[in-house]
Amino acid sequence: MNDSVFDTIRDIDDLPTLPSVAMEVMSLSRKPDVSIKSISECIYQDPSLAAMVLKMANSAFYRRGSGAIDTLHRAILMIGLNEIINITTSVSILSIFPPGDGQDESVRRMFWNHCIATGLIARHIDKKLAMKSMGREFVGGLLHDIGKIVLDQYFHDEFEEARAFSIDVDCPMHEAEQEVLGTTHMEIGHFLAEKWNLPGYLADINLHHHHPSAAQFKDITSLISIADLLAKAREFSFGGDRMSFVLADQEAWHILKQMGYPVHFLDLERFTFEIESIGDEVKSYIGALSETDARESANE
Amino acid sequence: MNELKTSEAPSLMTDETFRLLRDFIYEHSGIYFSDAKKTQLENRLTLRLKATNLGDFDKYYYLLKYDPQADRELRCLFDSVTTNETSFFRSPPQIQSFQEKALPEIMARREEQGEKILRLWSAGCSTGDEPYTMGIVTKELLQERLAQWDVKIWGSDISEKALKSARAATYSEYTLRSVPPEIKKKYFIAERSQYRVVDEIRTLVELQCLNFNDSKRVRLMRGFDIIFCRNVLIYFDDAAKKRFVSQLYDNLNPGGYLFIGHSESLHNISRAFKLVHFPGALGYKKE
Repeated sequence: MNDSVFDTIRDIDDLPTLPSVAMEVMSLSRKPDVSIKSISECIYQDPSLAAMVLKMANSAFYRRGSGAIDTLHRAILMIGLNEIINITTSVSILSIFPPGDGQDESVRRMFWNHCIATGLIARHIDKKLAMKSMGREFVGGLLHDIGKIVLDQYFHDEFEEARAFSIDVDCPMHEAEQEVLGTTHMEIGHFLAEKWNLPGYLADINLHHHHPSAAQFKDITSLISIADLLAKAREFSFGGDRMSFVLADQEAWHILKQMGYPVHFLDLERFTFEIESIGDEVKSYIGALSETDARESANE
Repeated sequence: MNELKTSEAPSLMTDETFRLLRDFIYEHSGIYFSDAKKTQLENRLTLRLKATNLGDFDKYYYLLKYDPQADRELRCLFDSVTTNETSFFRSPPQIQSFQEKALPEIMARREEQGEKILRLWSAGCSTGDEPYTMGIVTKELLQERLAQWDVKIWGSDISEKALKSARAATYSEYTLRSVPPEIKKKYFIAERSQYRVVDEIRTLVELQCLNFNDSKRVRLMRGFDIIFCRNVLIYFDDAAKKRFVSQLYDNLNPGGYLFIGHSESLHNISRAFKLVHFPGALGYKKE
């Protein structure tokens, strides 16, 4: 039974898919000479997505200065292309796996809290280390654990068992999954990222965020690996993981150091205190998203 | 008559006297009052001025420096310049990390080594809430196995007054505000409107007066598994912090942990420890 979880998921015909517009935006964004016009036209193909992106751009979380943002063109100018891609991805992915949905509503909410916290923390680290990930760090954080949501959706009871196991034995969640389900959220996430034809770095992050030295995109995978740990340390964990860790001993830490990022200049204590308020940021982000949801359904 | 005069018009502390007193206190305790804290020192010592019936701060300084009774006054001074803000289970995520991570890790290692000894230290224990909290947590973890273990929790403070109330081990409802109800029921005896810590926990705790500036005596505090030194470093300047933290490092066993106050940092103070991220709290490990 155990070794079939992966196969079972692989053979599910109606696995959720990322809306085609979101995928197109992501692949467009990889082109070096992409124009504002081509991105906004692409998003406009899906009018409800376009409306949600605009509302999100006008939310308290993103709004810069005064004056409403009423076109995607203006939105891209005002808050930047990377953020528009972030919003498109968030809105799309959250429409497939809505926060207030799933077999167990609170689990789903914890899941998104963790992923958004990871994305936001990754964004803070990216800035501190001047890594210039150009928004990929937020999308990476948001999507690094998609394997978990699929496991929870299709193997809810077993996944719950793995969560309990992780807490009882005090082991990382992926080890508990291997024990209980015979596969891990990394394998499932990687499978999904490839199936959805997501950019290579996202497939890489999904598969390697617990062991970034095997990754092809080592810097961004290491960044997400650290952000993931810090999100858990801030009690934004999904699943068992209540592990303690020494950041300076982490594989990801060594990789970033070797690659020349100034990790040793980072005042880790201060940074940890700074991200104590990450909960408010997560709330504000989810609030902005659900605001758009609520208004969307009110408009219907 | 004289006394009345003093209380009506409290004398002001000149900048020069402030510096003399500040340096004197620093020399004797490591506690440092920066220029910005002049008013704070003035307010606190005004009470001592009244108590000693002295007319101005110069005379008070003279008493500290040359009077045969200076030692006694110095102890009163320490009582008044330290803040004794503390409570049971203060900063719950730290206590939880102590309970769920640090302590079990050390206990497991000790058991493996076949010596069931635990040495904990609440450095700057004030009225005792912290060492008794450590005792309660240890008992909760070991339950009836506590009898098989040699557990000693040291609580030290510079303030005799604070230690006196630590010895009484009797607390108000307010200091117990973070204590879970079942813990309160198990480890406290209600006496009128107060709560007294049960003997089983009290006997685990050894209290003593200790000035962190007394390096000879601090050096004698050896072999600790876990040290809590929360909201103590804020009293010191950087030089004293560095000295004291490096001493605490020596006081720990290899594999031991230091917990400092929530939102306090050893960055720029010590590189000797490994920074450990516990769920919701930071700890410092001696490797």
